[in-house]
Amino acid sequence: MNKTLLGYVPKESPIYEVHPFVKLFFLLVVSLFPLFVAAPEWNFALLVFLLALMFVCRIDMRTLRIYVPVAISMGTIILLSYTILGGRHAEFQVIATLLGFPIYWERLRDALVVYFRILPMIATMVFFLSTSRERDVIVAMRSIKLPFVVTYVFAMALRSAGMVLEDFHIVRQAEQARGFDTTGKSLAYKIRKYVMYMIPLFALSLRRAEEFTNALVARGYSFTGKAAQVKRADYILTHYSYKIHDYIFIILIASAFILLVYLSLGLGYFDLEKSLFIQWLHQLVS
Amino acid sequence: MEPIIEIVNYTWKYPDTEKPALDGIDLTIMPGEFVGVIGPNGAGKTTLALSMNGLIPGQYHGIKLGEVKVLGKEVEEYAKGELQRHVGMVFSDPEAQFTAMTVEDELVFGLENLGLTRSEIKERLEWVVELTNLERLLNKPPYEISGGQKQRVALAAVLAMMPEVMVLDEPTSMLDPLSRKRIFEVLSQLRRTKKHTIIMIEHSLENLIPLTDRMILLSDGKIVSNENTRIFFQDAAVQEKGVYPSEVIQYFHSLKKQGWYEDEIPITLEESVERQEKLLAALNSASHQRGV
Repeated sequence: MNKTLLGYVPKESPIYEVHPFVKLFFLLVVSLFPLFVAAPEWNFALLVFLLALMFVCRIDMRTLRIYVPVAISMGTIILLSYTILGGRHAEFQVIATLLGFPIYWERLRDALVVYFRILPMIATMVFFLSTSRERDVIVAMRSIKLPFVVTYVFAMALRSAGMVLEDFHIVRQAEQARGFDTTGKSLAYKIRKYVMYMIPLFALSLRRAEEFTNALVARGYSFTGKAAQVKRADYILTHYSYKIHDYIFIILIASAFILLVYLSLGLGYFDLEKSLFIQWLHQLVS
Repeated sequence: MEPIIEIVNYTWKYPDTEKPALDGIDLTIMPGEFVGVIGPNGAGKTTLALSMNGLIPGQYHGIKLGEVKVLGKEVEEYAKGELQRHVGMVFSDPEAQFTAMTVEDELVFGLENLGLTRSEIKERLEWVVELTNLERLLNKPPYEISGGQKQRVALAAVLAMMPEVMVLDEPTSMLDPLSRKRIFEVLSQLRRTKKHTIIMIEHSLENLIPLTDRMILLSDGKIVSNENTRIFFQDAAVQEKGVYPSEVIQYFHSLKKQGWYEDEIPITLEESVERQEKLLAALNSASHQRGV
């Protein structure tokens, strides 16, 4: 098993045959797809496609269960924001009244559109993070010649997130070892006492930052001056090379995007008016 | 031969402190020397290490008096990132010095900073990986390996840059005995080549003594003793200066004090076994002569 940013993927997974840049390209382009598609059934189809892709890439599908509560909470927030908290609109069609709030068909429809746009976007990100290691992200960024500083800062941000979590765990254990336990206490109490964790965590982060700067300087790295102008060999890239299938994937993804944009903006496909799901739902609630 | 490091009347005081961390230090280190720096906590050992690497005054605020010259040039005169190509540094906390996402990237980072080509990097990487036995760890994140492995990675990362001087600040303080032994095995190999000048701050004297040419004792920011390692431990009063040498050395000092032993104090386990055998042989011979 190889550890990725969001879990583990078996070494036999076909995803490892793909150049890291293709994965990044997939993330950047495919996550834009839903923006050009209003019809929820098409975005749902994209979601199914992404789940199938995860299955093919041997991502442990059980780990996806952790996103179910996230999806539900997100859906609830969107629905509430668009319906009950969506304001009053005399021109809209009222389909029901809840606690004195009118529920409009247009607002319900828009909530669904937004929700079904966000879901495949998140799934694309989950797919990318589940199949990529930190190194893949860096390789992808460097292979498109992004400045070293940019890729490096990004890598450090990834690493820092892990370190902060690790430090938080240590601080929490240290607090618990001295009898501080919030189990069974109210949420307000927990929030109030959260400062007990935050102060040492903040101090630790400052120390880490200082140590990290020293480590960079000690290795002869400099953000400015002559040392910063050295042409870097990007040795990491010697382990990766583009194969024919990588070019095919890039062309396929790019072509799919161009086609989608043409169909959407040029021919008006994927519009709400043409959505079978929306038509069916409208009939249902009317 | 010109000294590789020359420190003259050097004083460093951190802001908001009463006393200077280092006070009027004079020290000369020659190329190829292996120097041990010992002393109690707060003696100024780490400050001395940071001063030789240019992190002081570069990265720290404070007041500096005197001179710290590396390869004949004052540390402040080096351009950013230049001094560190001559003086590598290994810190006590291995995790604090990692800058990359995999062990291989960690080893390569410094080499890329030097501006080496891919083939040069590959060559050095293979050399250092073999020397430090890190083949199996190359693809792992450095923060997910054991403490001993982490410190070997940190050492290898500095070593790969092939600096003339290597400063090691308590590199084994967080390691178990086996991991510590492995680090010292690598240092022992380096010592044999005499290609690097090594300055090592260390509390584990039994491992440090066999490697060092010279021992420096720091206390309260001052150099209390600066002697050839063998001469350093001949002094029975060494313990009064806050140094706790290996039990073997203490044992022979004790024998000497009681009049049982008159020769030079052995400083390694091998030497002490040899001396003990001679001592026992002499005792046996004396017993036979007395007809006991």
